[in-house]
Amino acid sequence: MTYEAGQELPPLERRIGLADMIAYAGATWDWYRLHYDPEFVARQKLPAPVVDGQVFGALLVEQIQDWLGPRCFVHKLDFSFKALVFAEEIVRCEGTVTEVGDGYLVLEQRVVVVGPDGGVDRVAAGPAHARVLLGTPDGPGATPGTTSGTASGRASGAASGEAGAR
Amino acid sequence: MTLLTEDIRALVGRRKVYTAPEEFGAAAGRYFGLAIGDLNPLYSDPEYARAQGLAGVTAPPTLICETNQYANLPLTPDGDAGHNWGIEIAGTRKVRGGNSYTFHRRIRPEDVITATWEIADATEKTTRSGSEMLIITSRATYTDQHDEVLAENEETIIFVSLEPGASGAGA
Repeated sequence: MTYEAGQELPPLERRIGLADMIAYAGATWDWYRLHYDPEFVARQKLPAPVVDGQVFGALLVEQIQDWLGPRCFVHKLDFSFKALVFAEEIVRCEGTVTEVGDGYLVLEQRVVVVGPDGGVDRVAAGPAHARVLLGTPDGPGATPGTTSGTASGRASGAASGEAGAR
Repeated sequence: MTLLTEDIRALVGRRKVYTAPEEFGAAAGRYFGLAIGDLNPLYSDPEYARAQGLAGVTAPPTLICETNQYANLPLTPDGDAGHNWGIEIAGTRKVRGGNSYTFHRRIRPEDVITATWEIADATEKTTRSGSEMLIITSRATYTDQHDEVLAENEETIIFVSLEPGASGAGA
């Protein structure tokens, strides 16, 4: 597989239900009532429990790894919050390749809330930027011997055959 | 009225350090994957992970940046048991600005993680609608039991004046 600037990533779409939010609260040890307690959020004058914003970072990573397969490593990721997302809403991660380098890609992504017509209701997080190493399952800090990947894979073909292997 | 008071300026450089009382564990990564709907076998199948070149299962990368799991802080009535600086500014609304992560390697179940938080910067700006806002930038460094850096996380918390025209975003 080859990559080029302007190439779009396959979108990742997910409905985030209250049960998912409770599971996330447990997995992160973050039991702040804003994320699951309807009475608490009503007192905050909010319409429904608010999705923890850190979920978006996890979904952006998932979108990248789903596309590139296991032999890639998300080295850097940044994003800005733009709007709250509420329980039972559907979010979609979108992304584009902005730079193709020797062994890495730079991506621009965003997380949007999907409206009833499938279009963008509002941007939840963005812009997001990711720098992804190709041809290696682990990062530059991995101790030799604990990973057999190579961090010098070339952008063209480095991850070929790996995408979609999950 | 400035939001960037001398008391706020004095917070820059303040640090908090949290060390996990035990190894990270394989279940933590598998649970986080299930919670976000990411069923990547790198988080659950050791044979699959080894076939990709890893020593074994790992965790979704952003999980290391969830400090609550290391902090061992008491639960408040609002359910909060996490790291925070305790900054409250009357007449403002607190919102999250964003995060900037750098990951150096994948997490392993045997890692014992220390999270070191520091207030890196405090600046004041004016929103496009004319409201004052204070931006607190914090930086966390996550290390293992050998003091090797695993990840860094810079995040911004914004205090927006409740004067007309206030704006903001995330939770």
